[in-house]
Amino acid sequence: MRPPEAAARRAGTLLRWYPKAWRSRYGEEFAELLICDISERPRSWARTADVVRGGIVARLAAAGLCGCTLEARDQARASLGSLACCVAIFLGFGVAMWSQLTIGWQWSEPDTAATTVATVAMSAAMLVFALLALAAAVPVLWSVASRVARGRPRGLLAPSVLFLAGAAVLFVGGRHFGNGWPGTGGHPWARQGLVPGGVAAFSWASTLAVSSYWAHPAALAAFPPAELAWMMGSPLAVALVIGGAAMAVRRAELSPRVLDFETRLSTAACAAMAVFLAGCCAWIVDGGPGPRNLFHAGAIDVAGAVVMTIALAGARQAARLARQAVRGPGSSDACRGGSHARPGGSHARPGGTGSLPGGGDEER
Amino acid sequence: MAAVSRTRPGSGHQPERAAALAGFGRYAGPATLILASLADGPKHGYALTKDIESFADVRLAPGTLYEALARLQAQGLIEPLESHDRRRPYRLTSAGAQALRAHLDAQRRVADVGLRRLAGNWGVA
Repeated sequence: MRPPEAAARRAGTLLRWYPKAWRSRYGEEFAELLICDISERPRSWARTADVVRGGIVARLAAAGLCGCTLEARDQARASLGSLACCVAIFLGFGVAMWSQLTIGWQWSEPDTAATTVATVAMSAAMLVFALLALAAAVPVLWSVASRVARGRPRGLLAPSVLFLAGAAVLFVGGRHFGNGWPGTGGHPWARQGLVPGGVAAFSWASTLAVSSYWAHPAALAAFPPAELAWMMGSPLAVALVIGGAAMAVRRAELSPRVLDFETRLSTAACAAMAVFLAGCCAWIVDGGPGPRNLFHAGAIDVAGAVVMTIALAGARQAARLARQAVRGPGSSDACRGGSHARPGGSHARPGGTGSLPGGGDEER
Repeated sequence: MAAVSRTRPGSGHQPERAAALAGFGRYAGPATLILASLADGPKHGYALTKDIESFADVRLAPGTLYEALARLQAQGLIEPLESHDRRRPYRLTSAGAQALRAHLDAQRRVADVGLRRLAGNWGVA
């Protein structure tokens, strides 16, 4: 292979680190620059590392999780979509822990004040999550429904189908497996819980995959085949729900007022996540080793808390960027003027606020 | 430097712009270098790299260069021109010229103070 061809091939390989939209905009010129750079310096780990880092940053930016290279409304929608994913991941682990505690409470009250307070705080946060989810879903569903009614469902069909399919599987499976175990609240004398037994049972069953049994194959093999299949299949249903919801948010033509409303909810969601995580950590610290039945906290709970912390950080970043994008030019140094500067859009802005990007990150 | 000469002297927004540039964080360096290079006229990616290397002795890696270009373009400080032979030149906008001017003014003030104090207290001219 001749050197220029080898350089072009390596440039093409490096280019794959970047998202598709970025490649369609910058790919050709960036590949040309890479070919020149490779021709000058055939071997450079620093260049490879730089391109990989740049590709990851570009993917995060496309997801609305960093930078301000998107147009304001696209930035807001992308950030809200990513926030939905972060909240869903957070709740995937959070609901698993919370359902363990609420099911434990069906049998007996927690034996320590810390676990009691933690469970109450987590339950209150769950209630807030439910109300926020309802308030957030209504405008999005309305937007999707009005587009379908106007005969413009293009782009929304796939996310709607994914979301509905995942939700249906989760609902049916959750109900089926939740009712299959008396310890989940279905038992007639299980009436002393903090939350209705059916809610606890459904939450437990829908997050059955979050289990330390994965680390114990011998114990796992003793599970009924249907339950095993559910443990392996339910995460896929959750992924369909998350993916469908995030795609719908990104593709729905939400008005500026709705976007503003959604970003306010996102801030509230982050606060609820923080409360939930605080309760969760309090329980983990309190519920260490020892025979405490369902109030016992194990290694998987610690791992879950770590994942939830990362998800909270991502959600907070997404909420902040969505808020900045919705507030518009002039309100944020990080995204100032983004909507005025698209390729092919208006060019110079004499007298405008010519700040360089990135200010918001460091100023806070 | 024709583009820079189009800035509005004595603009009341200058301190604000300078403050914004101070918050540019790790992108301040590449962004300033790119804007300074484009102040001389439109350039494509490779020409930018070589020009910056010649006047600042800094070689911007491709990923860093295009990360900064995308941000600068999104902020309206530079704009793309028609692509030629798979290479797309970029040029400074008047907003970019103003931002660069404000940033360099702020840097010059720091440099002036530092040099004056060095000369007065350390005898280093």
